[in-house]
Amino acid sequence: MSGATGIDVRYPIGALFTVLGLILAGYGLATASDTARYEPSLSVNINLWWGLVMLAFGVVLLLLAWRSRAASADRPAEETPEGRLTEQREHVLGLEKD
Amino acid sequence: MRSVPIVHLTQIDYVVMAVYFVVVLGVGWLLRHVMRTSTDFFLSGRSLPPWVTGLAFISANLGAQEVIGMGASGAKYGIATSHFYWVGAIPAMVFVGLFMMPFYYGSRARSVPEYLKLRFDEKTRTLNAVSFAVMTIFSSGISMYAMGKLFNLLLGWSFDVSVLVSAAIVLAYVLLGGLTSAIYNEVLQFFLIVFGFAPLVWLGMRAVGGWDGLVARLGEVATARGLPADAYTHAWQTMGNAAQNPVGVEWFGLVMGLGFVLSFGYWCTDFLVVQRAMAADSMTAARRTPLIAAVPKMLFPFLVILPGMIALVLGAAHGAGQGLIPAKLSAAGTPLVDSAGRVVLDYDLATPMMLVRLFPSGMLGVGLTALLASFMSGMAGNVTAFNTVWTYDIYQSHIRRGASDAHYLWMGRAATVGGIALSVGAAYVAGAFNNIMDLLQLVFAFVNAPLFATFALGMFWRRTTGHGAFVGLLAGTIGAAVHHGLTLPAGAPVGVKGGYLAVLHVYPSELAQTFWTAIVAWVTCVVVTILVSLATRPRPDEELRGLVYALTPRPSERELRWLERPWVLGAAVLVLTAALNFVFF
Repeated sequence: MSGATGIDVRYPIGALFTVLGLILAGYGLATASDTARYEPSLSVNINLWWGLVMLAFGVVLLLLAWRSRAASADRPAEETPEGRLTEQREHVLGLEKD
Repeated sequence: MRSVPIVHLTQIDYVVMAVYFVVVLGVGWLLRHVMRTSTDFFLSGRSLPPWVTGLAFISANLGAQEVIGMGASGAKYGIATSHFYWVGAIPAMVFVGLFMMPFYYGSRARSVPEYLKLRFDEKTRTLNAVSFAVMTIFSSGISMYAMGKLFNLLLGWSFDVSVLVSAAIVLAYVLLGGLTSAIYNEVLQFFLIVFGFAPLVWLGMRAVGGWDGLVARLGEVATARGLPADAYTHAWQTMGNAAQNPVGVEWFGLVMGLGFVLSFGYWCTDFLVVQRAMAADSMTAARRTPLIAAVPKMLFPFLVILPGMIALVLGAAHGAGQGLIPAKLSAAGTPLVDSAGRVVLDYDLATPMMLVRLFPSGMLGVGLTALLASFMSGMAGNVTAFNTVWTYDIYQSHIRRGASDAHYLWMGRAATVGGIALSVGAAYVAGAFNNIMDLLQLVFAFVNAPLFATFALGMFWRRTTGHGAFVGLLAGTIGAAVHHGLTLPAGAPVGVKGGYLAVLHVYPSELAQTFWTAIVAWVTCVVVTILVSLATRPRPDEELRGLVYALTPRPSERELRWLERPWVLGAAVLVLTAALNFVFF
């Protein structure tokens, strides 16, 4: 017996980048006046700008996952020809009892 | 261990890390109900789409050791390090996708050693399974040791805490979600590395005045070291002569040793990566897995090699050819000096120093989390490959046959706990006995070098027999050991570096010796396998259907859209890689 994968991987990744993006951009905004802090990064407020990029990426992934939630329905192994063959083989070779 | 850390993290950096840990454990938690059978646990129920398995395929290989090591090589060898990608990976990845995946996926083998069992016999499978299992445990341990040491040096974290906490987190999410959990975290880590390192490269390039500025500064370093001025910034121009390039290898040894024997041996036979393709939801998806992976792999040099090259020429000391890279310290805490009186640099710190110097707190947290993520997913990759090979190829075939699926699922979980415990042990062994680890890695190199010969002959020559494969593998390993024992890299003492039998030849560098050792092992394995196969009885054709090229129907690509066809994808990847080589010639 084989089963499905459960969740679309784009949800956790999208969530991670959305949260990290918000934290980073918020921190960048709060520290924007602190020029000494951003001297090592060539006076670029990398927290703010890159935080916004990460936020945008996270939101796009979440949207993609949400839009395709119906289309990407799980495909249990028994429903694909390859999956059925595996199951058969495991029984023929006596690799599994049940 | 040094107690003064190079940098102190602030609250915001710890917040970023904490968010990552929550997501990682959350993924395992959400997947816990999906792991009902051993196929779910070991092969993700063969249900993942190709872009997921493709990114996992590449991430399983992109451990932190790769990120740190390629940055170090970038500082040592310059842009020629890209040979490890454009020569030493892409062609093999295209080959495994187009030609070998039909046998791995089509034979319904559940692991690479199991393919050897189906194609040859039990003893060849067991030889491969046991050496692979031992190897994964030790490489997982070595990478844990590297992590503990790096975070101790960089951040002042306790070695024990970093090793044990990361082991506990990996244990939790693999136990809960099996291979799916590991693969999801690999995809996550892929994006973290991209988002953590892209701004590093961008800032670094700005700091050195763009590519032209980097070329000019590295030119000074090359001249100071007695090399042609473009030795660090051209990949091929100085490859004609080993003495003219920083790598110390000539083009033939590079292309045959690295590009053919070692690269095909790793990408085409290592279960750690092939397992990701086996988790795909169809034959086409399995074939496209390494081809999709090849696209980011092709571009990774810009992400992981450039930081090392920039580190060499950034900062006040860039005239001295040291840049941001600190000197290697002896046990007494004084800088090490080589026989020529030059300071030995700790190249492994090239990329971490870039992170620390260019990123403000906040972004620094993201960069370090990416590094931490790649350490942990490297460990998880090894553990998931280990528990599968242990359960299917050792436990099920030698210890307990014919038990229920629930029993093997239980065994897989037990093997996960055991594998992680052994890796932690190996990490401490690595810390206490550095020489043992050098020796072990040498033995692994001997065992791995001939592998591709066995698989290639098995898949493409139906006359190959089980006895031939087994004896050929052993002969190839012995051939590697003998060649290594008879040669020495220039300037190295006789011992673990070679020459323990006699010194017949001196190579210009250790890499040149490694590449030629691989070539010798491969040729020995081919010759012996053919000879023994011809002298032993072949298996009848009916038993080899689906296992050998001549007796397997070609997978049809006609129903696919043209961009999804493996052949189109493979050709596109090769053309783009050739173009990159041309641009950086």
